[in-house]
Formats: sequence, C-alpha cells, structure tokens
Amino acid sequence: MSRRLRTCLFLAAAVVLAAFYAAACTGLPHFAGLVHPYGTRAVAAAFRQRTANVISSINFDQRAFDTLGEESILFAAVLGAIVLLRRARDEREAAPAPGRVMPSTRLFGTVMLPITLLTGFYIVAHGQLSPGGGFQGGVILATGLHLAYIAADYRALERIRPLASLDVADALAAGAFAALGFVGIAKGAAYLQNVLPLGTFGQLSSGGLVPVINAAVGVEVGSGIVVLIAHFIDQAVEIESPSTQDGQRPDDASGADGGNR
Amino acid sequence: MPTQDLLPLAVAVPLLGAVLLVVAGRRLPRVAIDGLVTALAAADVADLALLWARTGDGRSVAWLGGWRPVHGEGVGIVMVGDRIGIGLALLTAVLILAVVGYSWRYFEQPPTEHPGTFPALILVFEAGMCGFALTGDLFNAFVFFELMGAVAYALTGFRIEDPRPLQGALTFGIVNSLAAYASLLGIGLLYARTGELGFAQIGQHLAHHRVDALLVAAFVLVLTGPLVKAAVAPFHFWLPDAHAVAPTPVCMLLSGVMVELGIYGIARIYWTVFSGPHGIPMACFRDTFVAFGALTAVVGAVMCWQQRHLKRMLAFSTVGHVGLFLIGVALVTPEGVAGTALYVAGHAGVKAALFAVTGVLLDRHGSVDEYGLYGRGRELRLGGVLFTVGGLALAGLPPFGTGLGKAVLEHAALSRFPWLLVVFVGVSALTAGAVLRAAARVFAGAGPRPRERYAGPETTGGGEEPEIRDPSRAVPPPMLAVPAVLLLGALAVGVLPGIGRQLALAARLFTDRAGYVAALYGPAPAPSGASPATGWTAEGVSLGLLSTLLALVVAALAVWGPAVPSGAVHRARETLSATGRRVVLPLRRLHSGHIGDYVSWLAVGLAVLLVVTAAQV
Repeated sequence: MSRRLRTCLFLAAAVVLAAFYAAACTGLPHFAGLVHPYGTRAVAAAFRQRTANVISSINFDQRAFDTLGEESILFAAVLGAIVLLRRARDEREAAPAPGRVMPSTRLFGTVMLPITLLTGFYIVAHGQLSPGGGFQGGVILATGLHLAYIAADYRALERIRPLASLDVADALAAGAFAALGFVGIAKGAAYLQNVLPLGTFGQLSSGGLVPVINAAVGVEVGSGIVVLIAHFIDQAVEIESPSTQDGQRPDDASGADGGNR
Repeated sequence: MPTQDLLPLAVAVPLLGAVLLVVAGRRLPRVAIDGLVTALAAADVADLALLWARTGDGRSVAWLGGWRPVHGEGVGIVMVGDRIGIGLALLTAVLILAVVGYSWRYFEQPPTEHPGTFPALILVFEAGMCGFALTGDLFNAFVFFELMGAVAYALTGFRIEDPRPLQGALTFGIVNSLAAYASLLGIGLLYARTGELGFAQIGQHLAHHRVDALLVAAFVLVLTGPLVKAAVAPFHFWLPDAHAVAPTPVCMLLSGVMVELGIYGIARIYWTVFSGPHGIPMACFRDTFVAFGALTAVVGAVMCWQQRHLKRMLAFSTVGHVGLFLIGVALVTPEGVAGTALYVAGHAGVKAALFAVTGVLLDRHGSVDEYGLYGRGRELRLGGVLFTVGGLALAGLPPFGTGLGKAVLEHAALSRFPWLLVVFVGVSALTAGAVLRAAARVFAGAGPRPRERYAGPETTGGGEEPEIRDPSRAVPPPMLAVPAVLLLGALAVGVLPGIGRQLALAARLFTDRAGYVAALYGPAPAPSGASPATGWTAEGVSLGLLSTLLALVVAALAVWGPAVPSGAVHRARETLSATGRRVVLPLRRLHSGHIGDYVSWLAVGLAVLLVVTAAQV
C-alpha cells in the first residue's frame, strides 16, 4: 500500500472506532458516584483481612492470581531481554570510556542514592499499610541504583550492581510467589489462600500473606528491572555491532510477500 | 489432592519449573537441563491428564485464594475446567513435551552464558497457555493472554543474528499488543457497567441492562485480542511473518496450539459473557463470524498455495485452517464445537509434525526453499514419508483426526450453510496440495526443476541459518521420532472412538451457559439435549477422500504440469495461471511486511466488525 492509501484507510477506520467508543462511553455509570459494586465489596474484604492498603489486598490477596500472572510477565520480559539482547556472534564488547560529570551532579547523586534506596525499601515494606507496595517500591529501588550512572559513569554503576546475583534474585522471587501459593494447599485451603495469622490492623505485621508476597514482588521488580535495564544499557554502551558500518537496514530483509518498498 | 487444586497447579508447576531452570541452569550440563525440562513438562501433562480424568463429564471449579462468593457476590478469581478447556490445556502440555523432546540436546540454545533460558521461556509459555485455557475470569484471561504474548515475541526473535526474526517478532509484538489494548478497553467498559470480571458474573449482570452501544463496543473490543491471536483475516498479517522466522520448536507451538487458543477465547467469551438474554444474538454472532471464517480460510489457502518458503507455506495453511475452526465455533451448536475440538486436536499433531520435518530440512541444507531444495531431500527417506503423510492428513484423509473433525464440521454446517462444503473441501485440498507439491519436489525430485516465475518480490526461504549445533552429522533421532509420534497422535484422535465421544459430551457442556453459571455456586444440573454424533459416517469418509484426491490432483498438476507437452493441458494451465495471477497478485501485495499496513488493516477489521454487529443487534 502507498503511504497515502494506508493513512486514509487507517483514518477512515479510526473515525468509526472513535464514534463507537464515544457512543459506548455514554452508557458508562456517571462520574463521582457514591457506590461501585466491586469497590464496595473489595474494601469490605480488605478490612476483614486486616489489610489497611486496599490496593495491596486486591493485588496480593483477593486477586493474587492475576498478580502472579503479571509478575510472570515481568519475569518473562527479563528472560526475553537476556535472549534478544545477548551479544551476537558478530558483535564485540568494548569498555565504555569514563564520562565527565559536573561536581554538583556528582554530589547530588551521592546524597540521593542512599536516600532513594531507603525510600524504596520503605515503600516496599509498608505496602500492606500505605500507598505503594512491591511494584512501586521495586521500581524506586531499581531507579535509585541508576543514580550512580547519572552521577558517575557506567563503571561505577557496574561496581554497585551485582548483576549475576540480581539475576538469580529475580528468578527466586518470581518463584517465591508461585511457591507461596502452596502454603494454602498445605494447610488444606485453596491455592494462594491467605492462611497466615492476620495480625492487628495497621501494624507492620498485619495482613497475613500480603506482606510476604509483597516483599517477594518487591525483590522481583527491583532486581528484574535492574537486569532489564542492564541489558539495554550494555547494548547501547558496551556492545559494538558491525552491521552499522555495512549500512544494512533491517527492513531490507523482512519476510514478506508483496510489498512496494 | 482435591481435584480443584489441580487447576492452579497446571499454571504453578511450569512457572516454578522455569525458575528452577534459570537458577540451576548455570551449574548444570546440557543433558541435565534437558532431562529436567522433560520431567517438568511430563509433570504438567500428568497433572492435566489427572484433571481430565477426574473432571469427567462435568466442571472443576477452583476459587483462587478461597474467595468463594458470599450471597452470590465475590471479589476473587475463579478457574473453571471443563473438558474443552482442560483438553486444550492438555493438548498444549503434550505439544510442549513433544517440543522439549524435539529440541533434546541438539537444538542450539543461546545465550551460552545463560543456559536454561530457552527451556525456561518454553515453560512460562506453557503456564500462560494453560492459564488462558482454564480461567473463568475475563481479566485473568487477559493477563495470561499477555503472558503468552510476551514469551512468544521473545521466542520468535530468538535467532538474533538474522534481521528477519527480529522484524517478524516486532510485527508480532506490535500488532498483538495493540489488540491487547483494545481488549483491555473492552474489559474496562464491561467492568464499569457490571462491577464484575468473571465470565459468568459479567454475563449475569449484562442481562439486567439493555442492548446498547456499550455492549456492542465491548463485545468487539474484547474479542479483538483473541481474533488477532487467532489470525482471523484481516487480522492475520502478522502470523506468516512471525511463524516463518521463529525457531522450529517454537513454530510447532505457535501453529499447533497458540493460534487455536484464540479461537477458544472467542468461543468461550461469547458463550459465557455475551450469549445470554440482552446479549449479542446468536444469529448475529453466527452470520458475522462464519463470514469472517470463510474469508480467512480462503485467504489462507490461496496464499498457502503461492508459497515456496516452506515455513510460510505451513503458516498460511494454519491461517486457512483457523478459518475453518472459526466457522466451526461460529455455528453456535454443540456439533460445531465438538467438530472444531477434534479438528484442532488432529491439526495440532499434523502441523507440528510438518514443522518438525521442515526443521530437519533446515538443518541439513540451511534452506526452507521449495525450489532450492528440489531433489535434495532424497536421502532423508523417513522425513519424506512423514512429510507426505502429514500432507495427506492435512487434506482430511480418513481416519486421521483432522479428517474426523472436518467431517463433523461439514455435517454441522450442511443444514444452514450448504455452500460451506466447498470451503471445507477446497481449503483442505489446496493447503494440503501445496504441502504435497513441496513433498514431491523436495523429497522425490519429481517433475522438472521449478523455474522462477513470479515477477514480484517474494520470500524464498534460502540462506537460513541451521538451528542445531553441528548439521554435518546424522539427523538426531528425536527430530524424526517426534513428528512420527505426533502423526500417530493425530491418527489416534480419529481412530479411538472414546475421544470423539468424550469431546461430544464436552461440547454439549461447553454450550450450556446456564450450567456454567450454576457450576460456580454449586453442583450444576446436567445439560439437556442430546450430545452430537462424532463418529465416522459414509458422507464424512467420502468428503475426506474427495479433498485428499483433489489435493493429490492439484499437487500433481503443479509438479508434472509443466512437463506435459503443449496441448490442451498446457493451454488450460496457462489461462488458469493468468487469471490466478490477476486475483492473487493484489492479495500477495497486501502481505507487504509493513507494520503500518497491518495496523491499518487491524483498524479496518475492527471498524467493519463494529458496524456489522451494530447493524444486527
């Protein structure tokens, strides 16, 4: 198809889609209603489970099976990055040159790095009590580590980033979630059932299984994202590809039947 | 262990297995890794076989986390296994086991510094597919849909040294992700209206609302994901680009079960969510998707015939057959579902076997080009036999499972859409004809050496990288044993009467919406109505023989036609190919490999579906 035809076709279809979606939205419940059937039930259930953060109760207790799938997607993404961003046979590794950093940036990074890590730990640890949790805290932990890249250079990041152990930690934490589900089965209840003592509402130890799964997710997300970013940065910083010199564009070789390139 | 615990176990076992492989893989030799992954795959087969046996002609229901509904209201996720869902998960697990056996020790699995990553991805893929087949919750189905997608993109692009797999994986990833966003929008609409996420629960609440734009939009949007996954035209463009470039073991899984899971998703979601009162009328669903199915089947078959790249040929054959499967479930009868289930089971074995033999060719000769391989498969006698038998089974030769499924579907379609007989026979004959044509040329060197005829750009399939460590030595035994066993499995589906009978009962249960809803809250009453007949009939056998004969005729015409001295045959052939070119060339040009084109077609397909559905409700 020519560019023009493709654009016209898409725009014509997009107009129809937009019209239908707009019409569909008129059938939605009104804004700022006082009740939502699921919301009301989920809040009540979270209180019964003595989990102050309702979102965490939904993520790690009421609909924990969804979260198991989601964190498996992250696990799969990390494995996929390991596979796709590996060093190809015709690529070679080069040591990145040290970068020049402004003293103020270096100072700011040195101060902020431990503070960010501490914040990350706090957000993970209090996932069952206050907004946040394993996913959010894990991302903060991973981001914090990369302040070393901004404030110093890649070699500094490599020094404080134990990639091999993080790789294993990511896998073990992903496995821990699936394995924790068996606690319920072992106690004669259902898979992923919250059978641990629920504790006192509002305490750090409350929520039964929720803080445990939450911690596993925190470790998985934190280490998984570091590994994921590491493979992307390696690709950009360390690995030199020969094909960039050949001037070969990847789409020259796409599998296709017709085409008018 | 209680039966309902087997449901989440089917997902948890491969997930834990993948973790084990990633952690332990670095310290284990290749043999140990392969032994471990084989044991894990076998464990999941055992779990699902036990579930199949224990569930019987009923449903197994598991409330995850013990969140059973109180007074009909709940917050949790439910898994519901009936024999269609469990059977599909079991088929997945068996195919995973076959793939693991096929790649045993020989198939090259980079990255070398992370051994165990490839089998780990295969196991996560299994978890995603089993979860999708067994869940009873719309959002949960979406999560598993995404999980199998994320793994499939990585597995498709596995051979990074070649730009083609990366392009294929990118196309696959972008088109499927856009479809997933559409599905999520649809789920959002349904959730906002009903406050429910379970299939049955949404369906129950929709009965209290009138039919309006929201219902139509949600119906089309939710089905977009499964439609793209199932590669229904015009959402099919990504499939040949991805299946042609993925490693052979991955192709076996993609074509064998993943695409079929899309069909399952369409049928399951329609029956449980939208088929109730104030839903989408059955006539609307039937007419719309029979038409889409027929279009898909014809496009797939015509494009399949045009290919010389063997993997692309098999991929387009999958598109053709998926069209037939869609017709099957769109008939909205138990007979249609039973026929589709049989057809899918048989097709999975046949198609995986054909891909497996193609993988052997790739490793011997570094090519999957029908022209380039002319006569070069002669020394691979067993491979040639398997490929030919696979082609005949694809045509629906009795007593293969493909033949039985096709026969049951033809019978199911006959009363309302008699013209579908032509589609069923023609599509099976043409796709199988292409495979038989290639078999005759590659493995027997039959007919004159094929000439380059097609003027436009095309994918030849030459210059591919072998996938095993040392292609110069003898063919590894599992690479031919696995396709042989798979073909025997496809034969068993057609020969063993027990399978057909059980799937007939399962189809009656699958189409019993009230029973599905009731099963969530307690023992459901047995479905009323007779279960469909799924045995061989004289009519079915003769139609199977007819399509096989036609396949042989078209293959023979293509192979030996050019050798016939000029005369009536030659002239007829020339006119036929001239008219063919006028129709086929534009169709080939549509498969441009350009992601922008594919996205435009996705949008157009959605717009058409929306308008057509709105016009019929």
